[in-house]
Amino acid sequence: MLCGWSLLGPLQWIRYVHKQVRVKAGKDEELCGWLLTVDPVSASLVLMDFREEGTLMQVVMGHAVEEVQVLQEADKETADRLRSSFLPLRTCSLDPDELRRRRGIIQNWLEQNRIPVVEEADELRVAGVLTIRAPYGPEDCCSSNQIILDRIQRLIQNQPPPHAETDPEHRPILSNSTV
Amino acid sequence: MATPVSVLRLPKGPDPNSRGFDPNSPRFIALCRTSISASAASEADAEELQREQHARSVLRESFLRCLLSMNNKKVQFHMHENVKVDATFGASDIDVLNFQVSNLHTPIGVQKEALIRSQDVISFTFDL
Repeated sequence: MLCGWSLLGPLQWIRYVHKQVRVKAGKDEELCGWLLTVDPVSASLVLMDFREEGTLMQVVMGHAVEEVQVLQEADKETADRLRSSFLPLRTCSLDPDELRRRRGIIQNWLEQNRIPVVEEADELRVAGVLTIRAPYGPEDCCSSNQIILDRIQRLIQNQPPPHAETDPEHRPILSNSTV
Repeated sequence: MATPVSVLRLPKGPDPNSRGFDPNSPRFIALCRTSISASAASEADAEELQREQHARSVLRESFLRCLLSMNNKKVQFHMHENVKVDATFGASDIDVLNFQVSNLHTPIGVQKEALIRSQDVISFTFDL
């Protein structure tokens, strides 16, 4: 089951990343594309093929790979395109005050739910096993324990909108409308 | 006196961190040994191990993000004997042993939900 390719290891695979490769797989399949990554668990290759009508993604299972051949290196434009293709969207750069406010809200919400949380520099540490980085959304949680990660992410997702009770400006409008 | 009969044990269930079956169980060794262990060179050298682990995490993260982007996409599986089937991609398990798909268009009809063994797949393609 394990052929040469599967046995290469991460340090060898990473040399092929961001290069154009031709992969022979199975009995007679041949695929071409820019290598985005190699899964270190299954040795599967992810190839991207940029076309006019859109990008074609091809995943070749590691167990089927017969031969991998490098065709060419990526130029700067292609390399940037490959690098940015699956990055999480990080467009927001909030100012420190806004971040502090968000951190406070999350910390409050977790404490309301009886979850131990401490502030460490600009990170929040939950029960010693999970950290929440700025900007403190569900995607910013980091933990090696999947169950805790899932619970905390869900908790953050289910957080009520902050201005519902903390923003004093909303109350008068409500009371006015009831009068 | 009757000779003792060995007890057949089932493999241990998934561990509490839900990392799949016990990797030392005979069933796992026979069927699912896909995880690739650290190379011999890195076991001896701590610095080498660190570099290898870094490369591993970079590659894996990028692969996982790719899997995430595949969710709910129309995927074509290329399987052995030149079989090509279309399906909507759902998920993969952490060892990449099975894929969960919906609306699998098989030659004899559409299967609403299905699990595909990755061993049966050569490659699969989808449009981003």
